[in-house]
Amino acid sequence: MQNLKNKLNLVYELSRLDFKLKYYGSALGLFWSLVKPFMMLGILYVVFFYFLKVTIQNYEVYLFLGIISWNFFADTTKDIAPGIGSKAHLLQSTSLTPAVVIAGTVLHSFWTFFITLVIFFIFFFALGLHLAISAVMLVVLILFLVLLTVGVSLCIAPLYMRFNDFGHIWDIFLQMLFWATPIVYDYKVVPISFSKWYLLNPITRVIVDIRNAVLYGFFPEPKQIFITLAIIAIIYFIGVFIFKKYARRFAEEL
Amino acid sequence: MIEARHLTKIYKIPHEKTNTLFGQVLGRIKGKTTYESFHALNDVSFTLRKGEMVGLIGKNGSGKTTLLKILGGIIQPSSGSFLTQGTVAPLIGLGIGFHGELSAQENLYLYGAILGMPRKKIKEKLDEIFTFAGVARFRDMKLKHFSSGMVARLAFAAMVQSNPDILLLDEIFAVGDKDFRPQCLAVFDEYKKQGKTILFASHDMEVIQEYCERTILLNNGQLVLFDETSKVLAYYKNL
Ligand SMILES: Nc1ncnc2c1ncn2[C@@H]1O[C@H](COP(=O)(O)OP(=O)(O)O)[C@@H](O)[C@H]1O
Ligand SMILES: [Mg+2]
Repeated sequence: MQNLKNKLNLVYELSRLDFKLKYYGSALGLFWSLVKPFMMLGILYVVFFYFLKVTIQNYEVYLFLGIISWNFFADTTKDIAPGIGSKAHLLQSTSLTPAVVIAGTVLHSFWTFFITLVIFFIFFFALGLHLAISAVMLVVLILFLVLLTVGVSLCIAPLYMRFNDFGHIWDIFLQMLFWATPIVYDYKVVPISFSKWYLLNPITRVIVDIRNAVLYGFFPEPKQIFITLAIIAIIYFIGVFIFKKYARRFAEEL
Repeated sequence: MIEARHLTKIYKIPHEKTNTLFGQVLGRIKGKTTYESFHALNDVSFTLRKGEMVGLIGKNGSGKTTLLKILGGIIQPSSGSFLTQGTVAPLIGLGIGFHGELSAQENLYLYGAILGMPRKKIKEKLDEIFTFAGVARFRDMKLKHFSSGMVARLAFAAMVQSNPDILLLDEIFAVGDKDFRPQCLAVFDEYKKQGKTILFASHDMEVIQEYCERTILLNNGQLVLFDETSKVLAYYKNL
């Protein structure tokens, strides 16, 4: 019990450290972390709504919700590398473990995600939209998103530690995945022959369900939510396996 | 109490080290990458009694730091196991658990968290730590601007406040000034009285002679001798 409390305290301190390192501890730092999603939102909105004439209803909130969910996943998995890199010295001279470092990074990005989510809801109500009861599913779906992000982070953390060029590979992969996920468009435009594979992407599944719950008032189908959970659980356990096997060894040789 | 059983640490040193995934894949295609196994620590066993301060000596590269890191839970042994009773505080390398970009005070919060102390508890002890370390004027300065001696002082002071049962010290006198040594020695006296166990790696034979009844001698990763300090020091001279 005491041990768990100490661990949680440590994760909290590490997330503060990440915040300081990333934004030099200024209040302005928080502002900067919010600039990026809003820039993305603005640009994609102009291009897809005005230039390409996407016909999705309430496209601004549709896009907004997609972007912040995606950014949580993408930013966390990208921050794993500097998160570990900036603590190489700590990992090698104290009993700090890579698992705790990653938990700190995830917590730090979750703060940012949470703040953007609050802004989203302010925006949402300001537009005069209403929430249906299905919005309670958001809590479960965010939990899924966190679990997925942690699972993927655990899978790739040893790769970041071992290979200097993995960051580039991951960047390219994320670029592809961004467009293979219905963030700026509707997944129904994907051709049928494609969609079997397309819908295996767990981020797609979570984002579609989040939108259904918050924007359209649908609860996800129990069978579908079960499949989503299964995919995420598989990724998570593969992550735990890989991480347990390699992380500490690679951290010793950073 | 510390009990080490057959502790071994093997580092694999590849003949062609590649740090890139690209290079690794290329290497696989060209043929197998070959490794050389290096025993940084080779089948080391011993038992330290509670309340005992033991010296740890050996030439550079003999495995002292490696042994302390394993006992401190910082790295994992390739084989073998060990047992420690109570809380362990390792003081290894100059900067220990500090981060250059944080101020001294923020570093203490982080270091405390690593040692298992909550923020509130550190806050109460901040003044004491800074006074002990003699760097109270610099509490808001980034650690990267500290001299290595000041860092060592701060680390030692923080460690003292965490009040561990077992202390693992690695060449802590290497950078301190003339005042630092007697301060540390006073702490050793106090800790011995309190029944804390200390493993003390150093090249300072005077202190080892005076403070450690028994001493471990490592050579090329092997435990050569673990006996009364005077005998071990005499043996080490002729090594
Ligand atoms: N990460 C590592 N990879 C390869 N060799 C290492 C690593 N860490 C330490 N060594 C080697 O292990 C040996 C023992 O080192 P160390 O325990 O630091 O010695 P000491 O502290 O007694 O001077 C040295 O030869 C060192 O080069
Ligand atoms: Mg050493």
